[in-house]
Amino acid sequence: MIMTHPGLPYEWAIIICLLMIILIVLALRTSSIYEPRQYSINLVELPVIGPLIKFLTFNSWPLFILKLIVVLLFLFVITAGLFGSPIAERNLATVLTWNLWWTGVIVSVFFLGSAWCAICPWDTIAGWLIRRRLWYRTSSNNSLNLKLPKRLRNIYPALFLLVGLTWLELGFGFTINPYMTAFLGLLIMLLAIFSLAIYENKPFCRFFCPIGRTIGFYSQLAVVELRPIDTDICANCTTLECYYGTETIEPCPTRLVMGRLKQNTYCTSCGNCVQSCSKKNIAWRMRPPTREIAQDARSHWDEAWFMLILLGITSFHGVTMMPFFEKVLSKLGYMINDSGSLLLTFSILLFISLLISLLVYIFFIWLTKILSISPISFKKLFSGFAFTALPLAFVYHLAHNLNHLVRENDGIGQIILNPLGIEAEPLSMMEKHARHTEILLNQDLIFLLQSSLIVFGFWVSLKIIQNRGISLIKINGRYLLPMIMFSVLITGIHLWLLTQPMIMRM
Amino acid sequence: MNIKKMNLIRIFFLTLFCSSAQGHHVLGRPSYSLNEDSTTPPSMQVEVQVGEYYITYMVFPAFPSPNQPGRVNLYASRIDNGEPFQGQVIFKVRDNNWLNKREEVLGIQAVDDNVFRQGFEFQEAGNYIIRAEFESDSESYQIDFPLRIGDASVFGPIGVTVSLIALLLITVNLLQRKKLINAKISPKYRYKDKSL
Ligand code: SF4
Ligand code: SF4
Repeated sequence: MIMTHPGLPYEWAIIICLLMIILIVLALRTSSIYEPRQYSINLVELPVIGPLIKFLTFNSWPLFILKLIVVLLFLFVITAGLFGSPIAERNLATVLTWNLWWTGVIVSVFFLGSAWCAICPWDTIAGWLIRRRLWYRTSSNNSLNLKLPKRLRNIYPALFLLVGLTWLELGFGFTINPYMTAFLGLLIMLLAIFSLAIYENKPFCRFFCPIGRTIGFYSQLAVVELRPIDTDICANCTTLECYYGTETIEPCPTRLVMGRLKQNTYCTSCGNCVQSCSKKNIAWRMRPPTREIAQDARSHWDEAWFMLILLGITSFHGVTMMPFFEKVLSKLGYMINDSGSLLLTFSILLFISLLISLLVYIFFIWLTKILSISPISFKKLFSGFAFTALPLAFVYHLAHNLNHLVRENDGIGQIILNPLGIEAEPLSMMEKHARHTEILLNQDLIFLLQSSLIVFGFWVSLKIIQNRGISLIKINGRYLLPMIMFSVLITGIHLWLLTQPMIMRM
Repeated sequence: MNIKKMNLIRIFFLTLFCSSAQGHHVLGRPSYSLNEDSTTPPSMQVEVQVGEYYITYMVFPAFPSPNQPGRVNLYASRIDNGEPFQGQVIFKVRDNNWLNKREEVLGIQAVDDNVFRQGFEFQEAGNYIIRAEFESDSESYQIDFPLRIGDASVFGPIGVTVSLIALLLITVNLLQRKKLINAKISPKYRYKDKSL
């Protein structure tokens, strides 16, 4: 029996559509460039939260303790996955990994940026084994410190692994398989260890990790950033400890120079720079979430592909949870004579959906180019406007995850009491119904949050289009209509998906 | 005769490590259920699509142990009109092992109330493959399903992970030593290698 969560009521969808129309009219009437507000608040100076951030970032050991806790949890997940019950909803491995962590970590990005990477168990374990240290820098290590080949110095490997992860997650059903969840955890750990043992710095975090890069891109929309307090101090700095590290503090793992840092994408929030900077000039700050993505972030070809594929994957993720998906899959599988779990058919559908999202984007970029009569190259336009995809993907991802997070975490207490699910029985009908009806938030509040997210994402995408339009091709207003239509189309699809009942992942 | 044979590897990976419940995409995913009306142990069920048929395969109990009698129920219905298959199904078994391909016939079952029921009892714990074979419209269908008896061996992934890490550390250390020796004997090398 398949149980579904109710979709967003149509009244809400109508309100969202009206708000979108108002935003479009405003965007079309504006002739000036959108200037995001430039304020930023040094979080360390705030009461209560300031001392806490100071405590966590200026000393090595609090972060070490957090890492230790996460590593222990990770090992526990592996143990539960390999030795525990194969019943997904009774096993800590699947519940913690997919219901709590993977859904929660995306939500956390908006408020905490890439904070997950600061305590990531894969990187921590790799660091402990290869760097042979728990928190301080050591002169000797277990790495060959080779230079990463040039052709790997882009995020295509992470993109490839992201598509692979989606395929395993949705096609192979890793999310409902404790054993395979543990297996995947071990595999990512091995990749992190091997790349650290072979190459210098942390190429896994910067170029390969699909989770880290997804978090990194989404954190362009975070309300926090790690930046210099006084940019002049960085401009005149000759020691660059943030980049080179000190005798006891590791250098920046992703080779970022604080004084020139304009985007969160590759920062893993490790805090090395905060500790190594001799002028104590680096701090966590609060900022408007549109500034980086609409204005500061520089466009790159490989990054544009990542953002667009991320959008395609996010939308496809939603489609696979619609009750009609199984029927489409079955029909197509029958037509092409696929059999078993229809993995080939699934792969084809995944490929087609990614292709469609890319082609749609390319079409609107082409229209923009024609309308603007600009000599700018297609490649530049493609990379520059690709940021538009990010808020659309992010808000849908959040709105979708919200459902998983608040509607599917009943029964956590039982998991804590019996994490391996030993002797646990499958969910009874009564439990299934209880899980279906017991939600952590009021249903209307969920709808309100989802609607606000969609409107917010659409608004941010318009701001990106306005700002990038002026900076790339000096056009605004109606000339940007094709890109606005792209944003409307994607938001419309996401809105429609949200209004549909969604299959419950128990 | 055209043989529609399910890709064993696909189903093997999906169901060997038996997972559960309602997924987003349910074909080929094992699900566990309780029998609400009695005290019988839970069962495991997998639904797949092969050629013209939807096939549902159920194992009772879901986690059979050695020397415990169990049963496989198979139900096949046509995709186009939902009509249940009414012929005969041959059930075979073999070790789930790449080297051992020797099969034994478990039994030949006729339909009973649209269901084909095959009993089993294994003496040894391990991973087995149950093959259900039938013929319909001159086409031969072979469907392989994994069956785990007793607890699975879980030391595989841990053993492989630990061995790989150990091998990596040893190799890196050996290479580092070699570099160090080269650096000591060659001043030219010393200039080049910044990592030392
Ligand atoms: S980038 Fe990946 S491996 Fe690196 S810290 Fe982040 S999640 Fe961990
Ligand atoms: S050292 Fe680099 S990765 Fe770490 S927090 Fe600073 S900028 Fe980010």
